[in-house]
Amino acid sequence: MGIVKIFYKDDCPMCPVAKKLGRHLEAENVGVQHYNVETAEGLAEATFYRVMALPTVVVEDEDENGIGEWRGSVPKIEEVLSAVRNA
Amino acid sequence: METTDLNLFVRTSEETISDWDRSKIADALIRETLIDRDTADQISLEAEQMIRKSGVKVVTAPLVRELVNAKLIEKGLESTRKMHTRLGMPVYDVDSLILHPNKENANVPHGPEATNLTLAERIKKEYALLCVFSQDVADAHMNGDIHLHDLGFIDRPYCSGQSLEYIKKFGLDLPHSLSMAKPAKHPEVLLAHLIKFAAALQSNFAGAIGWDAINIFFAPYIEGMSDDEVKQFAQMLIFEFSQQAVARGGQAIFSDINVYWEVPKHFEKVPAIGPGGQFTGKTYGEYEKEGQRFAWKLFEVYKEGDGAGRPFFFPKPIVHITEKFFKTQGHMDFLYHISDVAADKGNTYYVFDRGETAKISECCRLSFKLEESDLRDALEPWRMRYCALQNVSLNLPRMAYMAKKDDTKLFNLITERFVLATKAHKEKRAFLEKLLAHGEDGPLALLTMKRDGMPYLRFDRASHLIGMVGLNEMVQVHTGEEMHESKKALKFGLKVMAHMKLLSDKMRRQEGFRIVLEQTPAESTSYRFARLDMRYFSPASGRAVKGDIASGEIYYTNSTHLNVKYPMNPIERVTSEGIFHPLIEAGSISHVWLGESQPYKEALADFVIKTFRNTTSDQIAFSPEFTTCNTCHRTGRGLLDTCSYCGSPDVDGITRITGYFTKVSSWNKGKRGELNDRHRVGEYFAEQKKAANE
Ligand SMILES: [Zn+2]
Repeated sequence: MGIVKIFYKDDCPMCPVAKKLGRHLEAENVGVQHYNVETAEGLAEATFYRVMALPTVVVEDEDENGIGEWRGSVPKIEEVLSAVRNA
Repeated sequence: METTDLNLFVRTSEETISDWDRSKIADALIRETLIDRDTADQISLEAEQMIRKSGVKVVTAPLVRELVNAKLIEKGLESTRKMHTRLGMPVYDVDSLILHPNKENANVPHGPEATNLTLAERIKKEYALLCVFSQDVADAHMNGDIHLHDLGFIDRPYCSGQSLEYIKKFGLDLPHSLSMAKPAKHPEVLLAHLIKFAAALQSNFAGAIGWDAINIFFAPYIEGMSDDEVKQFAQMLIFEFSQQAVARGGQAIFSDINVYWEVPKHFEKVPAIGPGGQFTGKTYGEYEKEGQRFAWKLFEVYKEGDGAGRPFFFPKPIVHITEKFFKTQGHMDFLYHISDVAADKGNTYYVFDRGETAKISECCRLSFKLEESDLRDALEPWRMRYCALQNVSLNLPRMAYMAKKDDTKLFNLITERFVLATKAHKEKRAFLEKLLAHGEDGPLALLTMKRDGMPYLRFDRASHLIGMVGLNEMVQVHTGEEMHESKKALKFGLKVMAHMKLLSDKMRRQEGFRIVLEQTPAESTSYRFARLDMRYFSPASGRAVKGDIASGEIYYTNSTHLNVKYPMNPIERVTSEGIFHPLIEAGSISHVWLGESQPYKEALADFVIKTFRNTTSDQIAFSPEFTTCNTCHRTGRGLLDTCSYCGSPDVDGITRITGYFTKVSSWNKGKRGELNDRHRVGEYFAEQKKAANE
């Protein structure tokens, strides 16, 4: 099972959609980590993942290898689920 | 007068000997402090009695003043004493200063001018701590919580980025100068104007003076010159800058020149200024070939080095690597050319301007994205002059000693120190505003001249730098691991920097002026912090400081850099260190220490392209090491005890201290400790080459 990281901030137009995606993924029992880039924790993680556009969705396997990423856009839930389950 | 019967003389500060006059004490107290007349009289009387009792015949004005100060303390009049105090130095200090070199800044040679500079700096530093900054800011500096850089230059801004266009358009017309020069008609004259203007600016700023797109702006003057003439001209420019050690305090002008292979997009359609300050009728975009010819020749000169084959210390050439660079004809040849210089002499700085957003270099690596108003400025490039008013660095490891592994405490301390640094900036701003308010009759006349309708120094656009020292040791003390040891430790370092970045944004909104993070060069600060922490935070500090405690050659790792000693391949180092760079607005750098090796230019060029494409690093530089001989005047590679040509032991080691090359013998102890530790990666590039050949 992979894990999903969602990067967002409070006032970006597409971010609410990404947050909603996060909730739906959690409902499917997928591990989701939310990072608000306006907090130190969130900005640090975003810097580590070189997030330049918001929202960004990153999927990693258990060994923290990247297996999917959507930068500046929100993917369909099926795309994320297939990445997570193939991990 | 009753005092004359005392038969006492005073050596005054006006180099005269006067008869004793007690009322002068009271007058001075009234003039300089808020004391009342009766108390002042009483104090002067008591001071007189003290002198009378001692039986001396001649006293000095400073001695009288100190006696009066002693009386003020006795009476608990501390704030009055502070106003009445004098600034100065003990004879012992002046003596040793005149006889021994200054090790705080390796760019200052030893000599009468340098001594003057140091003496003046000492007094201005005391003045700053007493009169410009509030008590809490001054105390925090004194005890090493923070470091206020260049206090000896309290009455000037910190550093600046300049445009050659200003002197091309307006000539050399400086306030109070003896003659006014119209815009230059010939390249040599323009160069002379540039050098004089740079020297004038050095007298008005504490630190670096950077010149933007120098090869592009000189291009209209280069037109029509033969290649040999361009080479000659490039030589003149570099020698003129590097030999200005006759300027302020015997220092070379700390200068950067920014070089572009392409014509930057924001200058493409800008009308070019040529001889006589006239528009040439062409745009800078049409001068690409001339700009390239000049850039090429500049690097030919760097490659040759000075008369003894040593690298030029100044001006530092900064080459901008952009997307457009890779689309411009001949870029690979140029990249090999500048990488050849990097491998051989080390001069080249590679700055990475990624993405399509235009960027511009200010001083001290400070670069920023051009916004709408900047793009309007770019159409009249003489407007493009920038500055940072001050630089304040935070002692990060100390906060970790104090927080005792408590996250909340640690982040709270960072916030407190950040707020204090911001307060220091506000105080320096207020002080400079006061000086600038005197206009062209004031001390900063040059910065207030209005040749283009606005003051030369664009105060409202000034930056205020907050730097950091020893992030690596802070993380080490707080988490138990250095940043290269685990992803977790690295991420903790990122969190600290993210916190500081968010604070700088917040403070900027709150205070209404630009506050930006910078990687402090910390040439002496990392040593100072380490030393003070050894005094106040032992034994914890003893486990964290780097270097050799027994010899006192200790230091903290610079800014957000990783442990310099850890054997790491350069790609890994540049990638990991580069992760921090997007958080540090005023620019960052990773150093690649080459040691005695001389890699192939192809290996370095390849490394540069990979760094541009695959990392978030802002800037890199390669640093070789040299030994230059004072007997046979030849220069060989590596730091050696004797000359490899003639065996003479009279040699100087040369390499990069932080941001520039200099003689190792002039380094402070902390930097010498770091030099011993530096992990050299010459081997890495040699293996790259071998692998490529197999
Ligand atoms: Zn020799």
